[in-house]
Amino acid sequence: MEKKKTVKSDAEKTEKINFEKALQQLEEIAEKLEDGDLGLDESINQFEKGMRLAKFCREKLDEAERKIEILQKGADGHVRKKEVDVDDGTGEIKNEDDLQGSLL
Amino acid sequence: MNDNSTLQRVYTVAELTRSIKRTLEGRADFNNLWVKGEIFNLTVHSSGHIYFSLRDNEAVISAVFFRHANRNLAFKLKEGMNILALGSITVYEKRGSYQINVAMVKQEGLGELQKRIEMLKQKLAAEGVFSPDRKRPIPFLPRRLGVATSPTGAAVQDIIKVALRRYPTIEIIIAPAVVQGADAPVSIARAIEELNRPEYRIDCIIAGRGGGSFEDLMPFNEEIVVRAFYNSRVPIISAVGHQIDHPLCDDAADLFAPTPSAAAELAVPVKEDLEGEVEYLAIRASNAVGSLLRELNTRVEGIRSRRIFRDPYEIVNRKEQLLGDMLNQMLSSLKDKVSSGTSRLLSIPDIRMIIKNLINTKKHSYIMALTTMEQLSPMAVLQRGYAIAMDEEGQVIRSVDDSGVDSLIRLLLSDGTLRCRVNSIERGGSDGKEKNS
Repeated sequence: MEKKKTVKSDAEKTEKINFEKALQQLEEIAEKLEDGDLGLDESINQFEKGMRLAKFCREKLDEAERKIEILQKGADGHVRKKEVDVDDGTGEIKNEDDLQGSLL
Repeated sequence: MNDNSTLQRVYTVAELTRSIKRTLEGRADFNNLWVKGEIFNLTVHSSGHIYFSLRDNEAVISAVFFRHANRNLAFKLKEGMNILALGSITVYEKRGSYQINVAMVKQEGLGELQKRIEMLKQKLAAEGVFSPDRKRPIPFLPRRLGVATSPTGAAVQDIIKVALRRYPTIEIIIAPAVVQGADAPVSIARAIEELNRPEYRIDCIIAGRGGGSFEDLMPFNEEIVVRAFYNSRVPIISAVGHQIDHPLCDDAADLFAPTPSAAAELAVPVKEDLEGEVEYLAIRASNAVGSLLRELNTRVEGIRSRRIFRDPYEIVNRKEQLLGDMLNQMLSSLKDKVSSGTSRLLSIPDIRMIIKNLINTKKHSYIMALTTMEQLSPMAVLQRGYAIAMDEEGQVIRSVDDSGVDSLIRLLLSDGTLRCRVNSIERGGSDGKEKNS
């Protein structure tokens, strides 16, 4: 990590921003390119940046992995996560046992 | 047949109810009377009619406040509110119940519960708990959603259903809480705290429950719960189902929704929309660059297809021709210059002639002068036969008196000198005879 600090790739710079900012920047780039006021080099630069942002956005969108967990207090008093099975249509938690033990 | 029934009158239920109705509704003092009490079990029907009960410490009476009567009500009726109601007692035969048909309502002061909530509200407001300035934005794209609610209620199902529909790959962590009754406040507060633990890396919390009566929702007016919302480090959405009154936690949360489903919609974006937007923008950028490249290409092709690039020798030829033309031009202009210079030169009078003339003139003058000088010279005179007489000292003798007899004189002739002795002297003109010795 330390040595990476000196040379930051664009991907790392992109990592610093969130999805919303990336999307906003992508939109600005699309608009700028559509205006057509940029020279060829700058257009290509901006386009490449835009494609990086689009990739970043797609990755961000797929980052989460569908998982529904319920926090339970074990006998030792520690809270742990337990994955539960949920019916997509109703949102109903399928296994009744999972509902045992609130945080109280 | 000597039974009481023959002695006493037997009413049908309807007859009796009608009789009661007549009695109650007929009493003058039951018409347009004022009654005071605390509102509870308040229901606002979709028809606009309002149903509630009025109570005090000992008794309860039902009340109905029809739409036409409550239309001009200046304030909202609230659970626990103490009111003065003007109305008449009516009997509803089908249910065998009596009620006060409210014509108008005055606020009498807050009910006990309401008063407590109001005080808490003022206290927390003074602390800045409800300050709009501290509201944080809800993350645009939460990767992991925390939910603090009852694990068995409809609320958790609604949230899961809506969240998964919108974002099929979202991660949800549920912190179960008791949301009703005496244990609820502590339980809700703990669930919120738990979801704030950094290791869960939760981006957004939804805390709440489905709709219910004023009493059902009371935990969300409790200080510990309101503070738990306020203290949440993770942005938090209050999701307490309600129609009329906002629970206090709504004001302490970063955002609130009227139902858990609505909260899930606020928290979770529609993945397909976002994917679509990213693609749309990427395509727009591609198209823009594509058309720029096409345009540039067209321009390059346009230039490339010009004759000069098709036939590069053309440029040499043309230049050569140009060069030739220029040379010619230069030469001819040079020629012009030269000839004009020459003619200018020729137009100047011939200096040599002048000089020659001058020299000739001078020479002539010189010769003339020389001739004159020669003619004036004594030598020239001598050549014509004259002689110059001089004494011994070389003095010219101009008079006979300048000499004497026997003196020696010299006679200068043109080709030499004669030394002579004067024999005699004769006066007279120059035609006198010269005497030789």
